[in-house]
Formats: sequence, structure tokens, C-alpha cells
Amino acid sequence: MTADQGPLRPTRDPRVTLDDLVEVLLNKGAVLHLDLIVAVADIPLIGVNIRAALAGMETMLEFGMMRNWDEATRAWAERSARRRGIDLREGESAVCRMSGGHLLTGGVYTGWRPGTVHLTDRRLVVQRDEPREILWQAELGDVRAVRLEPERTVGGEERLRLRVALADGTEELLSAQEPEKLHARLTEACAGRLDAAFPFTPAVEEERLLEGHLWFHEPRRGGPLWRGGQGRLIGSALVWKSPVDSRPALVVRTADITAVEWSAERSPTGDGGVFTLRTADGGEVRLAAGDPETWMRKLDVSRPSLPHPLPLKTG
Amino acid sequence: MSEHGALYVYALLPDREGAADGVTGLDGRPVRLLSVPGTGVAALVHDAEAAPYQGDDEQVRRWVGEQSRAVTAVWERTGSLLPTTFNVLVAGGGPDADGTGEERTAEQRLTDWVTEQAPRITEQLGSLAGRCELRVEVTLDRTAVSAPDTTGADTGVGNSRSAGMRRLLAKQQENNSRQRAEQLADSLHAGLRRRLLSVAEELRDRGRAHRAPQETDVLSAALLVRGDDIDAVGTVLSELQAEQPAVRIRFLGPWPPYSFAEIPEGHGSPAARQGR
Repeated sequence: MTADQGPLRPTRDPRVTLDDLVEVLLNKGAVLHLDLIVAVADIPLIGVNIRAALAGMETMLEFGMMRNWDEATRAWAERSARRRGIDLREGESAVCRMSGGHLLTGGVYTGWRPGTVHLTDRRLVVQRDEPREILWQAELGDVRAVRLEPERTVGGEERLRLRVALADGTEELLSAQEPEKLHARLTEACAGRLDAAFPFTPAVEEERLLEGHLWFHEPRRGGPLWRGGQGRLIGSALVWKSPVDSRPALVVRTADITAVEWSAERSPTGDGGVFTLRTADGGEVRLAAGDPETWMRKLDVSRPSLPHPLPLKTG
Repeated sequence: MSEHGALYVYALLPDREGAADGVTGLDGRPVRLLSVPGTGVAALVHDAEAAPYQGDDEQVRRWVGEQSRAVTAVWERTGSLLPTTFNVLVAGGGPDADGTGEERTAEQRLTDWVTEQAPRITEQLGSLAGRCELRVEVTLDRTAVSAPDTTGADTGVGNSRSAGMRRLLAKQQENNSRQRAEQLADSLHAGLRRRLLSVAEELRDRGRAHRAPQETDVLSAALLVRGDDIDAVGTVLSELQAEQPAVRIRFLGPWPPYSFAEIPEGHGSPAARQGR
């Protein structure tokens, strides 16, 4: 690194950007009207790569996202969803199967790859249905532990995922249409072979003093915008996150809050739900809630009374 | 092209004569402008068979590279366009939307559609003029963040522990460092998002970034930025790098506004709703 503090320059070098372009061009861009699409073998394509369409439709079907699609498309997708199964080994028998997916990590691409989760008396397999390919599999003898884990989806919903720890120390994350059922069946199928507990304990979170819907007046170049999301007051910070963002857009350390003020202005909650936090660096954060009094009271209580730095949280 | 042919559509753009001259698209095919009379809009197309492009991953990557080069070359001449996704094909001869049973060529169908959508397309082209898309991906290298946790796990006692127990403790330690990184990533994200929003006109969260196993996602976003604000974004990023050496930054572009090109919804097309 040089001492030069000039602006970073973006790169267009295809060796660096091609993977991103692939992703963007398969998922983004203007979508033309449905009437215009080409129908190939009765599969309508709306400007998506055919393989992405095939993989994605099943997921959309699973989560009820295709309600708005025309009958023909849905019928086709349902037909294709029925056409699935894995090649069993000799003497191997199927236990259960359901729509699901495997989280691919560690390579160039990180992301959920949808397919069907098959549990047999020997293996746990995630298979893409079309074109048929085994995305991931493990011998039951190698499964050390299984656990259900809540995960917030991009849409803000909480969904249970199945975490599987393997004998080689690696871990995998699977999604499944009925995670509890898969967890139960897998635990049965591995009976007597699993470790007593999952090899590590889930992350310990700070105590939540208050949690609920909160509006954040997010400053933007074109003027601030009220956004709805989830507010969380923990011992050391106020955190606000929108369901469409992957991380919080606001993290204010309670130690940095110098004042909490009421203001009688209009907000998405109607009149008078707005309150402002003033911070030590001269900044202000505008929030609104249906019950601003509760937030203001808890915020006030959570502020350390002495101007000492918060002790660093260890473990 | 025969009436059973199709058009492969790369983009919709302001109708400027010569904007596509000398530009080639997928498999080196020359692209052309299909002007839509009376609208000021044209479509960037090549004549194609009515079948989608299919191939193995390498093949698709090559086509995507070619599509992107063609669209970027034309975008640099016109200053605005609405790029379409890969494999947008308009076929001729399909059933008429009006139900009259009359067959139309691909050109007629596309022309009719653009004519019908022209006000929205023109408005969107106007709002994107002079803007580009930048991609910002920031991750946190956990190995550069956290001091190792020395709560007995890797002191002398460790040697007498079983391999299984050592593995377990190593996992636990990895988990602790992950948790510290998560908290740091949350506050870095909030600060970076605020600074980027003061420069960019729009920011779309893109979820997960490309990252190595020892990295934690901080922010992955597509930004819509005025051409002369690219350096301002670059300055925000170089300041972040100076403040927090453990961050890893990928900064890509400038590209045509791929992530901001959806055409505002007209009368309820399922495709448009689906795209939200």
C-alpha cells in the first residue's frame, strides 16, 4: 500500500468482474412484458437463463411466489416438481424427501442452491432436479450432529435451517420445506451415532431491553426517507434494521447518546410519534414509533449515567 | 429475417442514429437498432432463432461477457439505456395479445410493445441519463480483526486434551471470533451505508458478497451514481480502508445501470410484479 489517500478507482477488468456480471445479467435488467417471451417446449422464459428458471421455479412454487403466474406456467412447474428422485444404491432405501436447498460456501459463488433434500437410510443428499445433479451429499456415518437454526430471510421472515456437523469438522447449512420433520427423521436415521450435543453452543446475544417496529428517518442525498424496520435496544446499543437490508442501517452506542428529545412533527405513525437522539459527535437520529414513550424511557434508562467508556464485552 | 425468427434484445435506449455501428454481441453477431417510430426509443437487438441460448457455465460466461461489452459500448455513446437480462428473446408469430388470431413478426410485436410502454420507458431513460452503476462489496477479514481468545483453550493444558476436544475448542474459538466480527460488521455497515447514501442517488442491498471463508460480509450493494460522483464514492471507500485495515473492498464498474433498469409497473403484468 502506498501512502496515497486518493479515491479508490472502480475496475472493469473482466477478469475481476465477470462473475458479478454473470450474476447481474441473469438476475437484473429490464424485464419485458410477459406477452413477448419465447415459449420453448412449453416453458415460458422471461428473460432468464433457462437453468436459472428451472432451478428457481421450484423454490417459487414452494414459497407460494407463483400465485400470480399463469396456469400454464404453474402446471409446467408442478409437473416438473413431481419428476424427481435419486438413484438409490443397492439395498439403500429412501426415508423422506422434500424441497430444500444447500448453502454453497467457500468457492467463487456463495448462495443457496435449490433442489430436493433426500434422506435415505445411508445418505443425506441435496439434488438439483433439472438438470439433475447432486449438489451436496453426506454419508449418515459421517454426520456428527444436527441442529435447527433460525435464520432471518431477506424478507425479514424467520425460517428454520438445518445445520449439519460432519466428522471432518466441517459444517453445512440446508434449507427444507419442513425443517422439523427433516431434523426428526435425520436424528432417527443416525440414532446412536450422533454426538450428545452440537460441537459448539450458539452465539450468546446481549439481553434485549426492547424490541419492536420502529421507523428510521434515513438521511439520503435526495433528502431523508422514513423507512420501516425493526428496532432493538440492547445494553450497549440501539440497532435498527430494515427487512430488505442485510445488516442494520443504524447502530448507536447508548454511551454516545447525549439526549433523547420528543418532537411534535408528522411521521408515518401519524402526529407526534417522533423522537430524536442526539449523539456525542453532534449527530442526530430521528426515529418514530407507535409507542415513543416506551422507547424514550428505555433509551434513557439504558444510558450509562457516568461518562465512562463502556466495558468491552468479552465472550 | 423470416417471420418465424426472433429478436434477441440487449437494451432499450434513446433512438440515436449510428449508436450501434460496429458493435457486436453474442457469438460476434452484429447488433442493430430497431427504431420505434414516433417514440424516440429504439431497441438494441440481433436477429436470432426463437430458442434461448443454452450451454455450459463457461459458455454462458462467455456470452454474458459479450452481451455486457456490447451494451456498455452503446451505453457510452447514448449516455442512457435500459439493459435487459440475458436471454430476452421476442418471438414472432405467437398468439396475438388482442386475441384476433393475427400473426405478427417479432419486429411488429416488439415495436407494438415499445409503443405502448413508451411513456414509461422514456421517463426511466431520462432518470438514468448520465448515471452509472457501481458495485461495492466490503467484507471483514476475521484473521485481521480479532485478538485470539486465550481462555485456557490453547494454553499448555491443551496438549493433554483429546483430538476431539481440541477440535471442539478450536471451533468454539472460531465461533467467538465470528461473533465479534458480526458486531463490528454491523456498525461498519451502518456507517458505510450512511456515507454512501450521502453520495449515491440510490443504493440497492445485494445480500451476500463474494467472500473467502475467513471473511464476514459487511455490505454488498449496487449504487446508482452520477458520472462525476464516482470519485466521491472512491473517497468514501479509501477512507474506510484507512480507518479499518481489516476490511477488504471490491469496487466494480462503472456499468450501465443493470440493477436500476426495471420499467415502472404499468397495468398489472405478472412479470413486473414478480420482478419486485
